[in-house]
Amino acid sequence: MSLLRAEDLRGGYGGADILNGVSLDVDAGEIVVIIGPNGAGKSTAMKALFGLVQVREGRVNFDGDDITNMAPNRIVAHGMCYVPQEHNVFPSLTVNENLEMGAFIRRDDFSDQLARVYDLFPPLKDKRREAAGTLSGGQRQMVAIGRAMMLDPKILLLDEPTAGLSPRFIDLILERVRDINEQGVGLLMVEQNAKQALAMAHRGYVLVLGQNRHEGPGEELLNDREVAEMFLGG
Amino acid sequence: MLDLVQLLIYGIVLGSILALGAIGVSLIFGILRFAHFAHGDLMTLGAYFAFTLTAGISLPMLPAFVLAVIATAAVSIGIDRSLYHRLRGNSPIILLISSVGVALMLRSLVQMIWGTDNQVYRSGVQASLEFAGLRIQPTQVMIVLGAFALMILLHLFLQRTRLGKAMRAMSDNADLARLSGIDTDRVIIWTWVIAGGLAAAAGIFLGMDTRLHPIMGWKLLLPVFAAAIFGGIGKPYGAVAGALVIGIAQELSTLVIEPSYKPAVAFALMVAMLIFRPTGLFRGKVL
Repeated sequence: MSLLRAEDLRGGYGGADILNGVSLDVDAGEIVVIIGPNGAGKSTAMKALFGLVQVREGRVNFDGDDITNMAPNRIVAHGMCYVPQEHNVFPSLTVNENLEMGAFIRRDDFSDQLARVYDLFPPLKDKRREAAGTLSGGQRQMVAIGRAMMLDPKILLLDEPTAGLSPRFIDLILERVRDINEQGVGLLMVEQNAKQALAMAHRGYVLVLGQNRHEGPGEELLNDREVAEMFLGG
Repeated sequence: MLDLVQLLIYGIVLGSILALGAIGVSLIFGILRFAHFAHGDLMTLGAYFAFTLTAGISLPMLPAFVLAVIATAAVSIGIDRSLYHRLRGNSPIILLISSVGVALMLRSLVQMIWGTDNQVYRSGVQASLEFAGLRIQPTQVMIVLGAFALMILLHLFLQRTRLGKAMRAMSDNADLARLSGIDTDRVIIWTWVIAGGLAAAAGIFLGMDTRLHPIMGWKLLLPVFAAAIFGGIGKPYGAVAGALVIGIAQELSTLVIEPSYKPAVAFALMVAMLIFRPTGLFRGKVL
């Protein structure tokens, strides 16, 4: 069984359901990408996995445990961390404090993990004592991902990690995402740069109107005519 | 000139007391996102706790101070658990109104237990210290030193400890704090410990500087809020700066206007700040 498995999720923010039956799997060490048109429920699906959206029907299993509707601060203890698309750093805290907050539930010495995060994002090293709110968008994204890496998760959920970044930073962040995956971390990513994301993904899901429309290896989706026409700009 | 310096000293004394209240108001706003109108009455309660411990069972002031601070912090947690906790997730207005209710309940409680008369910690006239023509009471020196010692402790707590950093993190972004694994409920409880404890300290200092009365804290609520807003609400350091500005401005204003109009000065400064720079000195949250 997959490390993370969501079965037929239905639910939303309290009003009408946004998710009308989303199922997905992420295996250990895999990169999985969710694409789809605006309003397809991509981010909502990811939030539902992380207990941030009420799941009305369906189950989320992670590493043998049922985590459906579990509070996020308990899910992280199971080894799954989440990077929201926006407001994903503590602006008045320093870079170092942001990373420390990522390790809040660890009572042991986490200096080795801190060093690994700084190795992953060397530009943060010089900025460690600066407030995260003063950093550029790209560096902020590094802090956000670094914070989520502090618990050395088995799976990392990334909601549009390259949104609003300049092309230079988009490449850099996606490269780091690949590095993180090479350390054995499973990744589930919602991404606007669908071509780039599918090219690096092991598998992908296409969501439409809160439901699975297509799924398959990243390569296959890239070459699928319908997917290409709908989401990849022909 | 001498008058000016003398008033400046009184302003710093008042500012220190306001600061202890304003820090709590600011912390509560930062973490729980509502204006806590019962804060003045928590000050009153703390002052009366210390009164019972000193006048009632003849404890010296220092242990009475510590016990009253602890007791007020405990009451604050109790109020939060029994009331605010259940209302969380509702609009901030509902929490604000309920805190007005708490303010009235606390005040009535104080009146029922301790009566409506003025009380003092110590009767008799204290010899004031004099130097270079300036007068200052020994208790006023203690108030300023005590207040600044507490602020330094708070600073160390916020900057150095895991929980203090989590408190700042939650004030920055509560959702992100939760999904980082921070135990936000524990942060909330410690927010009440600090806010309630500092309110008690402010109340006791106010009682030492003047006298105890059931509406002593309520009357201080306006300048306390003015200080928190002036400094940038949600920013404890801003609250300290705002409190000193408001305290000094209130005292200096007596040079030109009737002393009974002092609270209007705090109000005017708050309104001016809200018009020209709504985030306050330290870029706090917008109300």
